[in-house]
This record gives sequence, C-alpha cells and structure tokens, in this order.
Amino acid sequence: MLNEFPETLFSIEWHSPSYTPAGSDFDLSALYSQRGGMYGVGGIPHSQWNGVQSTVGGYPNGNWDPMYSSFMNIYDGMVMDETPYEIDINGMFDQINDEVTYDVIVTMDADMSSTNQKVDIFVVEDNIWSYWGAVGIYHNARNVARDWVTTDGLDLTISSSGESQTFTGTFDVSDAWVSDSVKIIAVVQNYGNPKQIYQVNQININDMNPDVDDDGILNGDDNCMDVHNPNQSDVDGDGTGDVCDNCNDNVYVLGNINGDTDWSNWDGLAGSPVIDIFDLLTYVDMLESNEYSDCAAGIMDINGDGNLNLVDIWYLLQSIINGNN
Amino acid sequence: MKKILLLLAISLPIAQRMDPLDLAIDELRTIVETASRSSQKVFVEDFTGLD
Repeated sequence: MLNEFPETLFSIEWHSPSYTPAGSDFDLSALYSQRGGMYGVGGIPHSQWNGVQSTVGGYPNGNWDPMYSSFMNIYDGMVMDETPYEIDINGMFDQINDEVTYDVIVTMDADMSSTNQKVDIFVVEDNIWSYWGAVGIYHNARNVARDWVTTDGLDLTISSSGESQTFTGTFDVSDAWVSDSVKIIAVVQNYGNPKQIYQVNQININDMNPDVDDDGILNGDDNCMDVHNPNQSDVDGDGTGDVCDNCNDNVYVLGNINGDTDWSNWDGLAGSPVIDIFDLLTYVDMLESNEYSDCAAGIMDINGDGNLNLVDIWYLLQSIINGNN
Repeated sequence: MKKILLLLAISLPIAQRMDPLDLAIDELRTIVETASRSSQKVFVEDFTGLD
C-alpha cells in the first residue's frame, strides 16, 4: 500500500524492545514505550491509523495479504477528508557534520481550535533489510523509527485560517544509517482524547530545499521564508519581513483601529498614526459585527483588561476627547 | 400613492429574481472554499516485532 499511495500514505515502524536484540540500533525502548503508551499498545503487531483506529494481529506467518482489504477500508475512510492543516517540510542536510536542520511549516486554510494540538516530528530510515525472527525470514523493513525529536509534542498555537507556524530544529544522522533513506515525518496531532492526527507529511532529507524562495537567505534566517526578499526589509522591526507583514506596527498602535496615518509627519518609514472619531466608529462596527481585521485585533484592548467591549470604546472616547494620542 | 404602488410592483419581482442569483453565488462560494481546503493524508504507526 505504501508503494500504491506514495503521496497520501505514510508510515513509521516502532520496533518492540521485546523482539529487538539488546544493543541493536533499532532498540528505542523508551520511545517505543512512550509512543505505544499513547495508544495503549499491548499485543503486537498493532497498527494505529491516524492516531484513532487500530488493528491488532491478523497476519500469522508473515502473511500480510489477508489484511489488505481491511487496511484499504481504513485508508479509504480517512484519506482526502477535509482538514484545516497543511504541512511543508524543508531544511538542509549538512553532510560534512551529518546534521540536519529542518523547518516544519504548518499553515491553516480554515479555523480550528488549538486546544491540545501539537506537532510531532519523527526521523525514520526506509528500506532496511532486516531479519524477522518470528517467521524466520528476511524482510525489507519500511520507515523504521530512528528518532522522535519532539517527544511530548510542540504546542501548535495557531487557530485561524491564513495563519502559519514554523518549527525549526536539528538532529544528527548516525553513521549507522543510510542517509539516502532517511526521512523526516511531521504530524499535527491532538493530545486530548482521541489522539486524532489531523495531517501528516514527509520528506527525504536529500530533497529538502534550504532556501525556498531562492533569495539567498536560508529558511531559518529568512524573515519571509516563502517570498523572495533578499533585502529582508522590516521597517517595524517585528521580525516579519515587510513583504509578508500586512500590519506595520509603527502605524497600528493602540487605538489606531482603522490604521490611518498623517503623511505630513512622514518619517521615512511611515506616516504618524492618527487616532480620532473614525477609529471609534470603526471599533463600534467591528464590535457589532464581531469581525476584527487582522491588524486591528491586537490594538483594541484600550484599557488592557484582556477583553474587547464597550469599556474599551469608552476609554478610547476619553482619550480622543482629552487629546491623549 | 400610485407611484409607491408602481415602484413596489416593479421592484418586488426584481427583488425576487435576485434570490436564485444569491443562491448561485452562495453555492459557488461553497464550491470554491471546499475545493481550496487541504486534504487529509493517512499516517499508520506499526508497533511490531521485527529484529
């Protein structure tokens, strides 16, 4: 099935320490226990599909063929469902130091709560010719777990359409591994109950692009990774390059809800923000419709109490009347 | 009064004729939004006993 659906079906093999000779480099007993514990794995073989559906046993003497139809049913029931997440993986494989730097970028095209949502990143080695002791045959083991670089998961904090979050890190490639067969797998998984996996992607470490937008700035250092901006201009100094930054923080200051400026005071970077009755009207509109522009959302809590409501409008009104802007 | 009635007589059918258009636009919006959504890939984790 892995060969049949290379773009939509990914896998990882966790090798039970009970069946792995001690000292073998397959022996990741602590990681096996932690990952298996998440799913209550007892008897093996145990397959866990997108974190929520399991099959246990069922192929005596290494005969997988009878499992095909049931696996296919599970796959068909999951693949191509809508999900708000897309995962891109890029980075660089430093072959001199045997070190991989990765950038896992999660983007959203629909809203979903970030509660208990995590990103996990695994390292696997594909096509290891290994001995299957239970049935006494050699076997081409696929996507064998080599590392779980984000044990306990990394918090995914985005929750709205259009948002993205990047996870950057490094890991070493062991001399014992065939580096051409090493892949990174990244998943978005809910750590609540059930442990639903909402998206997954993988890439061979040799296929990663260290400079996605080809602007000479490596992904990890690029203030706008996907858009060509060799000058890295960032006028408001917020770490997001101007070509990616819809909100100039020098303009969208507290109270300047509509983002208008007085260009007679242009300082070479932006006009000075104007806070007046039009901001008040814009605020009322947004509060009424419960729709806030991306830039305004962070500058509407005028009294700093963590809530956006009529009290903020009152404070903004007072500020305008008193000329405190 | 006659003018108001005339206006109503003209505007009501037109207004009603806009409903199918609105529905079509809504339908198109749904199709476009659905088409642009990401699709789920499948991840299977095998806990196994290979040596």
